[in-house]
Amino acid sequence: MIEVLTPGFHTTVQDLGRTGYRHLGVSVSGALDRQALILANSLVGNPDNAAGLELTAGTFELKFYRDAWFTLTGANYEIKIGSREIWHGWRNNIKAGETLSLRGPKSGMRAYLAIDGGIDVPLYLGSRSTLTAAELGGHQGRALKVGDRISLGNKLSISKPIGAVQRGYSNEIRALPGPEMAQFTQQSRKVFWSSQWQLSNDSNRMGARLTGEVLDLTQELNLNSHAVMPGSIQVPPSGQPIVLLADGQTTGGYPKIATVIEADLWKLAQTRPGEQLQFIHVSPNQAEDANYEWQQYFYRLQRSIDANS
Amino acid sequence: MSKDLRPKLFKLGEKALVLDCASLSGSNSKLEIQRQIWHISDLCKASGDFEDIVPGNNNLTLFFKDSKKIPFWSNQVNQFWTHKLVQLKPGKLIQIPVQYGGEYGPDLNAVAQYNKLTPQEVIEIHTSAQYSVLFLGFQPGFPYLHGLDKRLFTPRLATPRLAIPAGSVGIGGEQTGIYPAQSPGGWQLIGRSSVNLFDSTLFGNDRAQPSLLSPGDTVQFIAIESLGEVEEAKSEVPR
Repeated sequence: MIEVLTPGFHTTVQDLGRTGYRHLGVSVSGALDRQALILANSLVGNPDNAAGLELTAGTFELKFYRDAWFTLTGANYEIKIGSREIWHGWRNNIKAGETLSLRGPKSGMRAYLAIDGGIDVPLYLGSRSTLTAAELGGHQGRALKVGDRISLGNKLSISKPIGAVQRGYSNEIRALPGPEMAQFTQQSRKVFWSSQWQLSNDSNRMGARLTGEVLDLTQELNLNSHAVMPGSIQVPPSGQPIVLLADGQTTGGYPKIATVIEADLWKLAQTRPGEQLQFIHVSPNQAEDANYEWQQYFYRLQRSIDANS
Repeated sequence: MSKDLRPKLFKLGEKALVLDCASLSGSNSKLEIQRQIWHISDLCKASGDFEDIVPGNNNLTLFFKDSKKIPFWSNQVNQFWTHKLVQLKPGKLIQIPVQYGGEYGPDLNAVAQYNKLTPQEVIEIHTSAQYSVLFLGFQPGFPYLHGLDKRLFTPRLATPRLAIPAGSVGIGGEQTGIYPAQSPGGWQLIGRSSVNLFDSTLFGNDRAQPSLLSPGDTVQFIAIESLGEVEEAKSEVPR
């Protein structure tokens, strides 16, 4: 078991998300930076889909009630057991009674804490992910608070610390043209791909709101709502794009100018409000290649973890 | 001519396919098209090829487990469409008490003005129809309702609100619906209800149906003077 001593700014339990219930309007949710969670889980010997904690800035302190192996990936935090400093991206042992404190981030935006055996909250509709907008899943459907006590899965046998190099962040985000791309003015299409977009303070787990030049349609569109997904870039009449993220709505009626490819969606989780990003136009083939390359990264990673364990 | 009666098929991102029947709504009623979509959705469900199958407003989105299956299913879905089979869902009728206007319906006057009606006329028109639940989306349990009177069609807000209270009843374009939980949203708010549309207390029970409404159900709004009136009646809503 672990106990939350300091909750940080919006810390939630997340796994790889909840599928199969979008027809009831239930968002997929899950870790915003899926690759960081998968990496963290791999390092501590958990299955990819085990639940960990997603941290979004601030100071987070946790007391452990059993010996455990843990790792922190994603955004770069200062990590300490008591007063002993620990490397980011490495797995380390913590003893029952010790306190883990995390402060950050120095770079990036969201960090993932995986503990051997995983965070053991009840499955809700097939997942342990928290969907705070609907107050479901995770630990009581909400972000963690001081005093929360959370169960862990069974301890795994791990003998030594190892670490992994994380893929580098860039502010270039690859995207496919969306179904309504052609209905934006030529100028707006050019602006969309060529300009720098700034991440707004209003961004959260539902959507990354961007600010920049206003995007205009050639004429007003009244679309019938259909399904949207994490990565869909909607443009409401304000002309300022919103990239839907894991907690985003399941259906929407605003025109979709583009879709962020799955292999780059994690970058939006690691962009800070105020930082800039640019969209890079890719073809479906390039998206497929990027995905393949992504899978290869995890494959190589898993092999070297197995070889070093 | 017959070419025009085919739905449009397009990819959404890397792993989703949309069957869009918007261009067909002149030839069939919206509800008839939706019944065909429900049927196709059932046929797809049986295959196990999909992560999610999401009916929308006269459209259907298929989320594939493996994108290699997209060409096969594009063809298949087109064939299903030509069979013109429909699902006739035996839906239930659910009455939803709403307090219109005031702090609960901040856009009631704007909707009235836009449509050159009085607020009272908007309420009368909104409560006189019976609405079909076309699909659930946007938020857990959020029903998209068919049957809004043309006299109430009102565009969405230019800038969506960041937080809309749970239970808000709104109009977005040609649609009307109820927000089950607090969320951002761009619809014009005309009132509020205290009905619980999605019971997230059904924790840990994977077989429970957490949603009050299902596609094919019928909804009727009832105007009430004060939300307090329904606090007692709330527990009697059938589930």
